[in-house]
Parts: sequence; structure tokens; C-alpha cells
Amino acid sequence: MTPVGSRVLDMASDAAKEMLISANSLRKMYGPHLALDDINLEIPHGAIGILGPNGAGKSTFFKCLLGLIKTTSGDGTVLGYDIRTEGHLIRSKIGYMPEYDSLDPGLNAIDQVRYSGELLGMNPDAATQRAHEVLQYVGLKDQRYRKIETFSTGMKQAAKLACALVHDPEILICDEPTNGLDQRAREFMLQTLRKTVQEGGRSVLMSSHVMDDVESVCDRIVMIHKGKIVVHRSIDDMVKQVEKEIEISVWGGASKMEKELTSRGLSVRRMGRNMRVTKIDENTYSDILSSAAKAKVQVRKMSEYEPDLEDIFLLIMDKLGEQVRETDELMTSEYMGADR
Amino acid sequence: MKQGVDISGGNTRMESAFGSGDGDDEASASVAQKAEVKGSIFEQTYRPWRGSLGPRWVRNYAIFRHHVYGLFSSKGHRYYHPMVRLTILIVFLFSLSPVAMLFLASLGGQGGFGEVLSRMWGINRYNLWGQVLGFFPRNLCMWPLLTALVVGGMISDDRRNGTSAIYFSRPVNRTDYTAMKYLSSAVVLGFVIVFSYMVYYTSAIILNGEGWAFLIDTLPIFMGGLLAGILLVLTYTSLGLALSSISQSRFFAAVAFLAVIYGTKMVAFLIESTFESSILYVLSPYDGLAHIGQWLVGIESNYDHPLAFSIVSILLINFLSLALLTSRVSSLEVTRE
Repeated sequence: MTPVGSRVLDMASDAAKEMLISANSLRKMYGPHLALDDINLEIPHGAIGILGPNGAGKSTFFKCLLGLIKTTSGDGTVLGYDIRTEGHLIRSKIGYMPEYDSLDPGLNAIDQVRYSGELLGMNPDAATQRAHEVLQYVGLKDQRYRKIETFSTGMKQAAKLACALVHDPEILICDEPTNGLDQRAREFMLQTLRKTVQEGGRSVLMSSHVMDDVESVCDRIVMIHKGKIVVHRSIDDMVKQVEKEIEISVWGGASKMEKELTSRGLSVRRMGRNMRVTKIDENTYSDILSSAAKAKVQVRKMSEYEPDLEDIFLLIMDKLGEQVRETDELMTSEYMGADR
Repeated sequence: MKQGVDISGGNTRMESAFGSGDGDDEASASVAQKAEVKGSIFEQTYRPWRGSLGPRWVRNYAIFRHHVYGLFSSKGHRYYHPMVRLTILIVFLFSLSPVAMLFLASLGGQGGFGEVLSRMWGINRYNLWGQVLGFFPRNLCMWPLLTALVVGGMISDDRRNGTSAIYFSRPVNRTDYTAMKYLSSAVVLGFVIVFSYMVYYTSAIILNGEGWAFLIDTLPIFMGGLLAGILLVLTYTSLGLALSSISQSRFFAAVAFLAVIYGTKMVAFLIESTFESSILYVLSPYDGLAHIGQWLVGIESNYDHPLAFSIVSILLINFLSLALLTSRVSSLEVTRE
């Protein structure tokens, strides 16, 4: 008979496995500097954007998830594995795509990807076969026998992605995957990540400063600021919170139109011939059209403005501006010489 | 899950393209052409992989194979420049030159030229010591050059190219990484230095048709030389890898290694010439090894200072090199800072 305590533990373990990542009061200090502060987080499977300004603690967070650094306190799991003691198991289930160059310029793409697979424990034949598959998947099929030193930035990024995907990981961690890419390469990279989530059923953790990229791949975001999780929500949820506006574009007489709208008690923000009118209710549309008729201007475009992730990010940073902590506040009392 | 900052009621940003102004208040505009739309190239399909990953030794063997096989085949493994491979081949063939002389001696028969050659190149304490530890040409021209070429980029290349991330974002820990890099370097050096020594001894027995009595007489001396050779390989590998780990340039590591070997030897030689004291040879890795080697094969020492000094010196050099190596490997990054 299974002891009750053991069954409870098994259930807790199953619950942890359902979650992609789970962190409980996670804290990491580098000397006196607090890099991660009391992180409590439960991330389900799917595509998650990790956002935050430079120095926010994203890299430290990734290192903790990969089990590469010891946390100062707290605990956490990735795919049910303990980040403190089972780092090697976590890393065998994760594909990590670093931001900076991490490829051997002297190797062909196929050899680089194969070697990446071998470093995970794949046998050379399986690694070679899989390297062909993933290089095709990332669009480098025709370039796979070329030396990496001859690759463009876009091709290098694709090769890094292939290295991360070689063992079909359950989680793909991408650090700035579109860095330095032109428009076509960027769109292809994002499409590849989307397919990996939607068709492959894998989870993606993506860090980027380009909000459009995160928005096009991810359905949730985790925002880190000064070592704390300040936001963890679905993008749709956040969009619903922002005040609704109707965006119009007029042709000729924008100033008259603005005056007319203001005189009707509508709140207007204007930039050139584009305006945003705060939506009070459905009647706002007819008010706008009446104003245009009275001002004798053409309304070339009128639609409800859908805030994007960048809007939300800027709003959050704006809100946080009032709460930003000084560096001194991040130092512990021991370091500052205060009484305990 | 809801967590964090409340942004309800916030206003979104407003942006307008550069050059906006047409049509703001005047109903006129300049018109641009529509951008060309390009098609997709291929059908992209995600294929899962259902294989299983091997254990720790499979990963470690992959690192070892990658570095060692690169010397023999440029395809699929670590890239060694053709000149580097050629130099290593020349050093290896040169280290086997006594075998060729023994072959000539065996053709000459008893007495005459064959005996002269046999006396010059045959097995004795001095030749066994010299095969590994002789300064000219082996420790002046061959072994340091070989070490510099093999070890130079072993870790510095990972630091320069960021390829440490390829290792440490996978289930390869830093101990395994360091151990496999060390083993790969030591095996290549060992193949040239120790293997050529073994070939020399074995070929002397075979070519001269020596019997058990010769074997019993010379085996202890051979084993002493073998031990000295292994010690030389380990010391040079430790020192070379430590220098490789502190730099991003294989050139720096290689030149620094040569500078340490030749520089310490030169300084100690000048001090000895001026003050008639060999004590400064304890700073020279080569002389420390040579001193220990002389004791191991049982030949007269060239040095005035006690053997214990050289043993402590070699142990310290190895210890400090390994400490530096492990410390620098632990600083190799996975994520950007």
C-alpha cells in the first residue's frame, strides 16, 4: 500500500509537471546585489515572452531555470525537476538559443548542429539525421554544408535555433532571437517559433526588446523589473484593461475637426491628421461622423484602436516610473551597515 | 493568473510616420507605389524526435572525439589548420627518427658502422631520458611547439566564439568540460611524446632481436622514462590549458606557453652562468621535469639543488595551473551579461 505522505508528494509532483515552470520565493543575490527578489511564479505550457529593461534580471532568471547557478533562497521546478538539484535533467529537456554568437566558425552548419546533439547524449548517427531535419526546418537546408564563418547574421541565428531544436526539447528558450535580422529573416524566425509552438506542441520562452516579435509569438508575458516579477498575465487580458479609443484619419481640416470634437466634450489626442478619440460608448462613432460633416473634412479611416504589447509595456514602465527603487534599496541591510 | 501593476485607464502611445504633413489641413498628397509581396520558399513542417539521450559518458566522449578526431579529419570535428596538422605530423615523424637509425644499425650487423649507430641510438639510460627530456631538439624545438599548437585554442576559442554556451546550456558540467579538454590535449601530446618513446623502445628490442635478459635489464629504466614522459605531458597540458583559459586568443596562449618554457630556462641559465647556482631552475618547468627524469632513469643529475625542490616545483606548477584553469572555466558564460 502506498503511504499517504508519498501519494501527496506524487500529486504535488504531478501538479508541478503540469506547470512548465514554477518558482516559490526565489531569490538570487550576487554579493550584496539583489538580482532576483522573491519570485513567485507559475507558468503554464505555451509561448511566454520574458520582458524587462536591461539589467532587470532576465539573464539571471534564465540561469536559474537552467540550473546553472545556485539560488540564494527559495525553490523552483522546471517540468517538475528541481532547479537546485536536477539542473542536468532540466538542461537535457531544454533547448537554449543564446543571444550572442555561440557557433564555431570553423565548422559546417551540419557538423555544428550534430555536435550540439552529441553534447546532449545523442549518438552520432541519430544526431546527424536529426541535424539534417532541423536545418531544413529552420530554412538552412541548402546551406548546411557551408562553414558558419561564411554565414550572414540571419543564417547564424537560424543555425543557433537548429542547435537548440536538435533534440526536440520540451521548452525552447530564445534570448533575443530576432537580433540583427532583416525584415524577411525576422518574419521567418518568428514564423518558425510560432510553428514550433503550434505544430510541434513545444513551449517557448522568448526574451526580446522588440514587442511586436513577442506579441506575434507569445500569448502571455512575464515582465521582470529590478529583479521582481511586475506582470505575469496574458496579453489579451492586459489589452482589455487599457482605455478604448477610436482612431481616425482625416483628410483636410484636421484642426477644425479637433475643435469640433472637443466642443462635443470628446477627449481627443492628435498627431498630424491622425486622431484618437476616447470611446465613451457606441454613440461616439456617430458623434465623430457628425463632427466631420460639420467641419467638412473627409474621414479616411475610422477604427477602434487595438493597443499592442508595446503600448502595454510603455504604460507599465510609465506606471513603474513612480515606483522604481534606487540601487541603495536593492542592497541588503548587512551591506549598508545597518542593524539587523 | 493576475499579478502586478494595474494599468487600467492608461492611455496608449501615439505615433506618426516621418514626413507626415500631407493632407493635415490641405487636401493634397504625394502617392507612393505599393511594395512588392514575395512568396514563401518551402513548406515548413516541425518533425518531432522520439529518440533517447545517452548517459554522461556519451556526452563526454563526444567532446573528446570532437577535439582528437579533428587532427585526423577536418570534416565534422574541431578544425585544425592544415599547417598545424602538418607541423604535428612532422614533429611526430621527427620523434620517431631514432627508430630509423636503429633500423639502419640493424642492417649494418655486428661491428663497423652498424655498431656505431647502435651505440649512438640504441637503448641506454641516456637515450631513454633524451627521447623524452633531451633539451635539443625535443624540448627546444618539438614538444613546446607541439603543446602550443594543440592546447592554444582549446579553451580560448570557446571564450572568443561564445561556444561555451553550447556546452553549458546542455547537461555538460564544468568538471566534465575541463576534464575532457584536458584529456583530449593530453592524449594528443601523449600520442606524440609517450607513444613515440614506446615505439622507440619496442623497435630497439625487435630490430636487435633482444631477448628476455635485455628486457629485464632495461624495463625498469624504460618505466622510469615512461613515468617522466607522462609527467611531462601532464605538466605541459596543465600549463598550456591554464594559459588558454585566460585568453580569447589561441595565439596569446601559444606564445605565452613558449615564453614560460624558454623564458624561465633562459633566466635560470643566465643566473647559473653568472653565480654558479642552479637553484633558479626550479622556476623552469622543463628543468624541473628533466631533474626528476634524471632521477627516474638513474643518470647523474646536472643540477646542484636537491631533487625535492624540483618535485615540489613541478607539483606547484601543476597545482597552480589547474587552479587557474578551473577558476577561469567557472567564469565562462552561458547567458549574456
